[in-house]
Amino acid sequence: MSKGQMPVPETVLVKEKAFAKKKIPIAHKQTRRQQQYFFITAGILFVICFMQIDLSFTQFQAGVARIPSVLEMMMQLSFAELPELASEMVVSLVTAFLSLVLSILLAVVLSFLAARNTTPNKYFGMLLRFLFMIIRAIPATVWVLIAVASIGFGTMAGVLGLIFPTLSYLVKSFSAQIEEVGQETIEALQSVGATWWHIVFRGLIPTLLTSFLAITAFRFEMNVAESVILGMVGAGGIGLLIQGYISFYDFSSLSLGIIMVFITMFTLEFMTNQIRRRMSH
Amino acid sequence: MSARNKPSMNAVEMRRMKASLSVIFFALLILFSIWFVEMDIFELIQSMPIFFHFLFTDFFPPNISDLDTYIGPVVDTLIFAVVTTSLSSLLGIVIGFCMAHNTTPHPAVRIFFRGIIAFLRNIPFLVWASILVVIFGVGTMPGLFALVLFGTSFLARVYAESIEELNKEGVEALDACGASYLQKIKHGIMPQFLPSFYSWTLFMFEINIRASAILGLVGAGGMGSILKQTMDLFQYGKTSTVIAIMVILILMVEYVTNRVRERLI
Repeated sequence: MSKGQMPVPETVLVKEKAFAKKKIPIAHKQTRRQQQYFFITAGILFVICFMQIDLSFTQFQAGVARIPSVLEMMMQLSFAELPELASEMVVSLVTAFLSLVLSILLAVVLSFLAARNTTPNKYFGMLLRFLFMIIRAIPATVWVLIAVASIGFGTMAGVLGLIFPTLSYLVKSFSAQIEEVGQETIEALQSVGATWWHIVFRGLIPTLLTSFLAITAFRFEMNVAESVILGMVGAGGIGLLIQGYISFYDFSSLSLGIIMVFITMFTLEFMTNQIRRRMSH
Repeated sequence: MSARNKPSMNAVEMRRMKASLSVIFFALLILFSIWFVEMDIFELIQSMPIFFHFLFTDFFPPNISDLDTYIGPVVDTLIFAVVTTSLSSLLGIVIGFCMAHNTTPHPAVRIFFRGIIAFLRNIPFLVWASILVVIFGVGTMPGLFALVLFGTSFLARVYAESIEELNKEGVEALDACGASYLQKIKHGIMPQFLPSFYSWTLFMFEINIRASAILGLVGAGGMGSILKQTMDLFQYGKTSTVIAIMVILILMVEYVTNRVRERLI
């Protein structure tokens, strides 16, 4: 933030009187050059890449022509599917919640094993961090696809598939918190002869509890979004219904489903914001 | 539970009761969830070995016979991410300036964009993608539009939030000098806002790489389509190769964006 310097209007004014019409460069030179490099590179990359994509104008026109009729169909809300949609929405929420609970249980242990300053063995910690880096790089949807392929369609596949990305996210954020906040506590406890168990359970967990809860609340929001998507690849929940409506062109039920997802996500966002605000006090 | 009898409860007791109440609440919530989806914990534990057995026998060794046919989709994914990130950062910055309360041209404009962006952002992008597949047909176009839609709504929100967090003194000083709206943005807002602009745009690029990897699952092109194809044909050896390529690509992009971010900020 330090390089993007603010112009100081008073000096500008004073100098403007002295040199009547000459413009005075006030921007930081190096920053300006960097900005130019960044935007020019981005622009060139964009133009090159845009040329590579073959977008057919006729397809675009046909699509745009179809929008009004689709919108018209979506406007005719039908509440016939409401009970089914509501119960599947709860299934999605439950999938997200259960996978989060299971991941928290594992993550609390694993993050202390993986964090640089609390790991019992340096190489073991490194191995764990590397493993979770790879798990995190695989998108959640792919994990669920693998779970569906191995244990069949259903909620269980969703829960199992979501555990991996959730766990790796939690381990990463938790151990970052441990590394950031923990050092002083650890040194203080070590100097009075505390063991690893004492440090973790008496020293670190009580101090880090609020930040862990904030991370978890944020992750729950992400998990619900994921579990809505998961239905679309065959793991139960509201996504399954939405995918069905789309493939049968049942747009009136589809719009009800979309509204339901929106209301749920919006409420969740509001709630997590409240939780975070209260925790920061 | 003696809260009503003793109104002068001390803070420690109060906090302890709050903690135990929330623990009970969460326990009930977990029980309800397990009952609702009729999940069997033992079945889940039993399915773990099946899952790992499947993961390690069917997915290994990776089948690399079709390696050269995967290059096209990988390049496509990168191109997709560049184009969609640029388009959505352009749109996002315009909407972001309209949405932030200190730069919005009119409060009504702000509320209008807030509503639309909140709606777009809270629907998972795969839903948009599959609706767009219905409208535009299978191909790269629906995927492109879905990513732009999602990216714009995400970036507009975070840009607006970082604009609102900037300190007001600079703009106030410029106001006192009689600067116009555009001058205020150029000299008062932009220099402070650029670091967070770079940071969020590069982050969006990472998200877009991941997202375009799974867009193929609903028929919107990219790496996801070969992933789905190989899985539908039970060629899990090939699937693991695709996943490995995806992991390498994502980690490489993460590394590069981190380096760029370090240089710029």
